[in-house]
Amino acid sequence: MNSQLIPVLALIKDTFREAFARRIFWGFAGCCTALLAFLVFIMRIDVVAGALATITIFGRAMPTTDVQGLVHQTQSVIAMALYFFGMIISVFASAGLVAAVFEPGRIELLLSKPVSRSLILLGRYLGNLLVVAANILYLTIGSWIIFGIKTGLWGGGYLLSSLFTIFVFGVLLAVIVLVGVLWESAAVAIMVTFGIMIVTPILQQRATIERLLSAEWSRNVVTVLYYVLPKTSDIGVIIRHLILNEAVDSWMPVWSTALFGIVVLAAGILHFRRRTF
Amino acid sequence: MPAYAIETENLTKVFRSRWPRRELTAVDNISIRVPVGSTYGLLGPNGAGKTTFVKMLLSAAHPTAGRAMVFDRDSREPAARAPIGYLPENHRFPTYLTGWDMLDFYGALSGMGAAERKRRIPDLLTQVGLDERAHQLRLGKYSKGMLQRVGLAQALMHAPKLLVLDEPSDGVDPVGRRQIRDVLHALEQKGVTIFLNSHLLAEVELFCREVAIIQKGKLALSGTVLELTSGSGYRLEISGATEQMETELRSRARSAGAANGMLQLLFGTREEANQALDLARANGCEVETFGRTRSTLEEVFMKTVEG
Repeated sequence: MNSQLIPVLALIKDTFREAFARRIFWGFAGCCTALLAFLVFIMRIDVVAGALATITIFGRAMPTTDVQGLVHQTQSVIAMALYFFGMIISVFASAGLVAAVFEPGRIELLLSKPVSRSLILLGRYLGNLLVVAANILYLTIGSWIIFGIKTGLWGGGYLLSSLFTIFVFGVLLAVIVLVGVLWESAAVAIMVTFGIMIVTPILQQRATIERLLSAEWSRNVVTVLYYVLPKTSDIGVIIRHLILNEAVDSWMPVWSTALFGIVVLAAGILHFRRRTF
Repeated sequence: MPAYAIETENLTKVFRSRWPRRELTAVDNISIRVPVGSTYGLLGPNGAGKTTFVKMLLSAAHPTAGRAMVFDRDSREPAARAPIGYLPENHRFPTYLTGWDMLDFYGALSGMGAAERKRRIPDLLTQVGLDERAHQLRLGKYSKGMLQRVGLAQALMHAPKLLVLDEPSDGVDPVGRRQIRDVLHALEQKGVTIFLNSHLLAEVELFCREVAIIQKGKLALSGTVLELTSGSGYRLEISGATEQMETELRSRARSAGAANGMLQLLFGTREEANQALDLARANGCEVETFGRTRSTLEEVFMKTVEG
């Protein structure tokens, strides 16, 4: 095995172990399992002679003619819930895992090993991302199978949405890493990340905001912030379009968010390389 | 093969804070050379800059000026750290790992393959005195002494050529200390360079051949333990001297005293000491001790740090 790959895999495995030990992984998986059980409970669908007869959600029978639309709507609601609430839980879970690495007495030993600082940080980043990705995939694939078995509809848009959720989490994790490297504080990392998550839906309404602002410079500030910061809300809309099999107007929110993530992660790595512990 | 395991040239570290604007020189122009295969002790009072110095060797802290070389490689290169085994002082090993898992993790970070790690872990844990029950016990359940032992095993995992140990026997009972010393002696026999940072001066004196004393970030004193502790005079202890003989010997000595029925004499030169010895033997005195005066490392240390 490549000599650089062994340490990176060890760091990923260590992140998983820590997530297990801190009950982060099991807590996350428990929430996902409860959500799946809830989905099974509310999705009572009767199948007669191989065709859908009725679907009952919360005890109310739904017309089967709209079953495909209904399933897509339900999927999009779940995907949105997973996207926003899952992101909040993930940020809480990850902030501690990143900051823990910088504890005095732990970081010195890590840095004494013949591994570059960039790889140490990347290994931890990947481990964290995979912990969250495993749970998001478990919930998405689980609910996709439940929908598929109940309705016979196996559309791929819903599955694709989980990849976007993981992608946006990856970008927010880069922010957590940068804040962790700068201040070694899980609390500050959570505050900054939530700040971004709160600001971006507001910036999404920039057309309305710009109409309300009289000064040119303030409109420019809003525009710059919109393009610079990750567009979590716009990507939420893209996910919804994908699930409902609708055309996506623009992919700009995806690539500009990816660019933001790359720059922030690179800044985190650069600062980590230069820091004295 | 490089001549020195560690070589520093004017190594300096200045910590600066922006607000309030302050500067602290933790390490000030330190140049030392640690020969390959030697046992070297780094001494100094708290806050002298020892830990910062060690951190610069491991590249956990970046020098403000000067450089640190490990086996002729700049310590900032990751490859320079490959031959180093390190045990930090206030270590915080991941408590969720077992002793076995910890060695496996740090072994992997040192680039060891899975088969090699599996083969080496049980031997090492046994070598540092941890029984099989401890192998699968989480580190959170370990005592301080057990953590030191597993920490030492971690440092030895990849068979390093240079061991940097920060207070290795901190919290370890006397039996454990002896065990750790035996492990280190065995490594010394194999040619491993051992760099020891310890407050236990008696331990450093017992184990190290060379020492450096750091005071307020500067190198205050360095040399072999033998050189630093050997005094300039000679000591003669005799018993059975007559009153006349005692008076004669006292008059020849630089200083004299009596304790437990023995006459203790200190001479300034070897010649004077030998003449006194001949005289005492010729007059039927029993020689109890004869040799160069020696200071303890603690005395040398106190003299150095107290100026």
